[in-house]
Amino acid sequence: MTAINKVAVIGAGVMGAGIAAQVANAGVPVVLLDIVKEGDRNRNVIAETAVQKMLKADPAPFMSKAAAKLVTTGNTEDHLGLLGECDWIVEAVIERLDIKQALYRRIDEVRKPGSVVSSNTSTIPLASLTEGLSDAFAADFCITHFFNPPRYMRLLEVVSGPATRPEAAEAVSRFADVTLGKSVVVCKDRPGFIANRLGVFWMQCAVSEAMEQGMEVEEADAIIGKPMGIPKTGVFGLMDLVGLDLMPHVLGSMIGLLPKTDPLHAVHREMPLISRMIAEGFTGRKGKGGFYRLNREGGAKVKEAMSLSGGQYRKQIRPDLEILSTSRGDLRKLLASPDRAGRYAWRVLGQTLSYAASLVPEAAADVASVDEAMRLGYNWKWGPFELVDKLGVDWLVERLEADGLPVPALLREVGGKPFYRTEADRRQYLGTDGAYHDIVRPDGVLLLSDIKLTREPVLKNGSAALWDIGDGVACFEFTSKMNALDPDIMALLGKSLKVVGKQFKALVVYNEGSNFSAGANLGLALFAANIAAWTEIEQLVAAGQETYRALKYAPFPVVGAPSGLALGGGCEILLHCDAVVAHAETYTGLVECGVGLVPGWGGCKEMLARWSTLGKLPKGPMPAIARVFEIISTATVAKSAAEAKELLFLRPTDSITMNRYRLLADAKARALELARDYQPPEPVELTLPGETARVALEMAADGFHRRGIATRHDLVVSGALARVLSGNGADVTKPVSEGDVMEEERAQFMRLIRHPATLARIESILETGKPLRN
Amino acid sequence: MPSYQAPLRDMRFVLYELHQGDALSTLPGYEDFTRDLLDPVLDEAAKICGEVLAPLNRSGDEEGCRLENGVVRTPAGFKEAYTLFREGGWTGIACDPAYGGQGMPKAVNTLVEEMICAANLSFGMYPGLSHGAYTALHAYASDELKDLYLPKIVSGEWAGTMCLTEPHCGTDLGLCRTRAVPRDDGSYKITGTKIFISAGEHDLTENIIHLVLARLPDAPKGIKGISLFLVPKHLLREDGTPGAANGVTCGSIEHKMGIKASATCVLNFDDSVGWLVGEPHKGMRAMFAMMNTERLAVGMQGLGLAEASYQGAVAYARERLQGRSLSGVKHPDKPADPIIVHPDIRRMLLTMRSTVEGCRALGVWIGEALDRQNHHPDPDVRQNAEDLVALMTPVVKALFTDLGFEATNHGVQILGGHGYIRENGMEQFVRDARIAQIYEGTNGVQALDLIGRKMPAHAGRYLRPFFHPVADLIAAKVEDEELGPFVQPLAKAFGRLQQATGQIARGGLAKPEEAAAAATDYLRLLGLVALGYMWVRMVEIALPKAGTDQDPDGFYRNKVVTARFFMDRVLPETGALFSAIMAGGKSMMEFEEAAF
Repeated sequence: MTAINKVAVIGAGVMGAGIAAQVANAGVPVVLLDIVKEGDRNRNVIAETAVQKMLKADPAPFMSKAAAKLVTTGNTEDHLGLLGECDWIVEAVIERLDIKQALYRRIDEVRKPGSVVSSNTSTIPLASLTEGLSDAFAADFCITHFFNPPRYMRLLEVVSGPATRPEAAEAVSRFADVTLGKSVVVCKDRPGFIANRLGVFWMQCAVSEAMEQGMEVEEADAIIGKPMGIPKTGVFGLMDLVGLDLMPHVLGSMIGLLPKTDPLHAVHREMPLISRMIAEGFTGRKGKGGFYRLNREGGAKVKEAMSLSGGQYRKQIRPDLEILSTSRGDLRKLLASPDRAGRYAWRVLGQTLSYAASLVPEAAADVASVDEAMRLGYNWKWGPFELVDKLGVDWLVERLEADGLPVPALLREVGGKPFYRTEADRRQYLGTDGAYHDIVRPDGVLLLSDIKLTREPVLKNGSAALWDIGDGVACFEFTSKMNALDPDIMALLGKSLKVVGKQFKALVVYNEGSNFSAGANLGLALFAANIAAWTEIEQLVAAGQETYRALKYAPFPVVGAPSGLALGGGCEILLHCDAVVAHAETYTGLVECGVGLVPGWGGCKEMLARWSTLGKLPKGPMPAIARVFEIISTATVAKSAAEAKELLFLRPTDSITMNRYRLLADAKARALELARDYQPPEPVELTLPGETARVALEMAADGFHRRGIATRHDLVVSGALARVLSGNGADVTKPVSEGDVMEEERAQFMRLIRHPATLARIESILETGKPLRN
Repeated sequence: MPSYQAPLRDMRFVLYELHQGDALSTLPGYEDFTRDLLDPVLDEAAKICGEVLAPLNRSGDEEGCRLENGVVRTPAGFKEAYTLFREGGWTGIACDPAYGGQGMPKAVNTLVEEMICAANLSFGMYPGLSHGAYTALHAYASDELKDLYLPKIVSGEWAGTMCLTEPHCGTDLGLCRTRAVPRDDGSYKITGTKIFISAGEHDLTENIIHLVLARLPDAPKGIKGISLFLVPKHLLREDGTPGAANGVTCGSIEHKMGIKASATCVLNFDDSVGWLVGEPHKGMRAMFAMMNTERLAVGMQGLGLAEASYQGAVAYARERLQGRSLSGVKHPDKPADPIIVHPDIRRMLLTMRSTVEGCRALGVWIGEALDRQNHHPDPDVRQNAEDLVALMTPVVKALFTDLGFEATNHGVQILGGHGYIRENGMEQFVRDARIAQIYEGTNGVQALDLIGRKMPAHAGRYLRPFFHPVADLIAAKVEDEELGPFVQPLAKAFGRLQQATGQIARGGLAKPEEAAAAATDYLRLLGLVALGYMWVRMVEIALPKAGTDQDPDGFYRNKVVTARFFMDRVLPETGALFSAIMAGGKSMMEFEEAAF
């Protein structure tokens, strides 16, 4: 199989540049080429500008500044020769067949034999792309359709043609999966592939039905969003996000390619309002506003929305739809409701599910592919066939028939059986052959959700569980709301450490929530503080310190495996692990100062130890202390696992896994590796200078205050942090133990949590999600 | 018949020594309210209450109100007393000076309210309701309405009412049916029937300004579709004097258990002209502006009646000679010892006294918090005070009226058969006290407000201005040699309160019914801890003075002993309340509905 060690991307538009950035994020060198801009002295200006723009963009396409250095920019006239070194060449140029084909001919001349070429086209059939090209080219060619933004969207649709070498597609798919972290869904060479084919139908249907049934955009989005497991942007919010002008483009190409019998033609109609909005520049968030906008006229910020009936902006309304509260969690009840909300919900979802069923096997080999494509490409919580199972296929067929809507063969043939079932501890889907098939995970993919189908937890309480994940490894899972750390988690973790010591070789701390943990349950802490339950709070702090310390010195290795947010206490648990295998999209930091506290679960101590041993800093204790002070006092959050390494939230030896699905298996492998001849770490002793360091840190903070960067309460908080980090009265000649630092952490934490300004900060975060700068 | 003498010594102690009465004049807008102005106010209030209002209390109860040809006649002497009261400026004592009021601090007004309720609750209803209407209008009415109506309400020439309840809608005001139809000139026509309207019709003033909850034609269903209207009994002439009748008629007056001299009316509105107060459909907001101050005032009713009953019971217990002291004869010169020597009589008297003095301290604390909330220059202090008032409003209302009812019953018990007959006036206090547990939101509703709204708001922020000072006091003084013995029981009770609070907050999120099952017990638990806190603070002041030359009349010594009684004999109830709360609501919810 072709090993992919170097990649080229041609076309430095949003998609091409984003794909190049993700390749670089994976640590693989990448060539990014675009055309020469006429009249510009710098012949590489387009590609170079694209990289510069990405370095400033938010959300950032690059995971680190170092990644950007792996991108070699150039132009297609002077640098096409560079493709000779590349194993995979991604074409992401303008959607014009003639231009693409001309480019392919030139690529074919310079590429090395056996290298794979793929197109990121979203609208042109593969058959057309390879028409007239050499057999060798066609054998090495496929479509790799990324979603925007390429770093964050996990779906990659791969389309092979009849001439495509299976190994070529396999090489790219494997690289995309393991190295780029994408989930590959194999599609047939049909217009729009899977996700956009269904997604565009769904959006079109939701918009035209809304107009026909006199819904307001807020109402439509409230119905389409949460009740159906679709992001709360619903459909109109989503169109604002992707750009109103993109829709007609994609839709037009699909309409042109699909036969007249395709139901897409039936929902497609002229929408004068949208044409007018696009013409006037109201193309969504990138334009002057979309269906929603923030009107800043006259200084005030007014949330407005487009009235579908009146065609004018008006003040945003809060939808008052009773059925949404009475049907909560019961989708069938919503769809069966005779009021206009229920009618709208049914018209949109009924047609969408019917259309989804018509895509198997036309565009997708099986239902599981369609569901995966919609979950990862459109962030639906449930794929369409999971939704059918929720409703019951018989019920759906009956309603479709009653409404005179098409009932695709797939729905009739299943004979009332669900599309998914769990049989003999395995998750299975119903194939087009009428038989159930196991959902097979690729090698190196281990999911806790699969394991949970097959066994009972070893331990469990209301906020956490301990699982046996095989080969002598246990997995500790947070299950509390938002994975917030609470006394129950600490209690079960403490208990788990004892059990793992007796029954297992190693422990992995991992969960499959969207965030590893955003930290301690602040609502609980604030309530406890409001009722002056100081003893309880101090016990909670002490219990966290003790449990994390026990985890660190346990007689077996502990591997942390975070993904998403790992903040505050969620970061501190990772700091105490022997090793971390982090998903690349891990956002970690000690953010306690933001809410007026100091890290209280050993975070200060661990960061001091790390920066004094691993930090590449000038000699003496002070530089490490100053750096840790800077990181913690400003509540710095690493915006990727790569950045977390720079900040030493992760050690240089910790590893990064690109694919979310592979995280647990990688962590487990690392745990087993450590379990061979495992020795717990030696207790750390720190050299802290005491008073002189504290004064120096406070002077630095004062400086920020005078420049208006630090607020009054920032000074109080950083003063407390300075006490902890300086060793509060320590003497540089005598080493300070971990216990000493933790005692000071606790004391300062307890001092701060009584402060009204701290309580006001916590309240603000809880109620508005925004930090209070008091 | 008991004679009422306002407990001025204790009131001054609470206002100036326990709380910051002397510092009121440092608040912006309160510059004039120094002690040399406040003291005479208290003296004069004590005088009119003791000499004018109290003597009418029993006769008013015997005579009651009468409805004659649609006109309500108040009992003999009420009109004359009202005129004196009004001319003395008492109707406007706590009102905005811009409308002719005296702008008296709430801390002081709280004490005046206690005196009025103790002397004659039925009488107090008339100015009390006017003040409620004043509060809602002052907060939400247009300037035009305020200029037209407020000066006369403040001066007491006109009275006010709050018309909420309808035959089918009491606690659940969302069911309200009274209609309001817009007229061309911006006013509305109001049609409907309101019941239980205190002071709805009477002969004390030349006009009555009704505040009426009603529904506009386009109103949303339920509580979000209620608007508030000003509807005068008589429409005003061009010159602002009362003119033509406005279609408001009194259909009947209720025959009730107590407050018989207060007219409780059925009012019919028949195309009566009204004006919107505040925004359409936002009537509940305006009503709550009134409701919150009224709830604190109702709390003071419970306290006042308890004080009046205590005075009557003490006088009787000193005079009534029956049996001999169990520890030996105390008055050999008399045929028997006065019953005040007996432990059980003392138990009742001290229960009354210790709750009355504790409630007075707490009531003035909240009054003073209202002053800070409205006048303090520092926004953080204002917010803190507002939070405390929000938390304590349901507690003061329900705790004070429950304890008031219990105290007046003790009063009857101490007099025995002489308490049960009407002649001695003690049973009237019980009957009068009973309504305070019901109106302005039943005490059950207060408890739900406490656990359902106040406790969870802002992750418990309203609890902070109460829990923190208590915790700080305990931490600072629990080891104190002198004060420690008083602090330790408080610490124990406070621990129970913290634990119960945590339990309810956690359980209430998962199962609202569990929290509701604990509500009434929880309110009383919190209330008793609040009284305990007040008692420790009072002892802190009294201890150094007790038995010294600063204590010639034994006032401070008595404080300390009363405090000890409270800590020993009243506060332990928190243990029982705690057990009940922690047991949960299962036993009351599993009982089959049909089996009741």
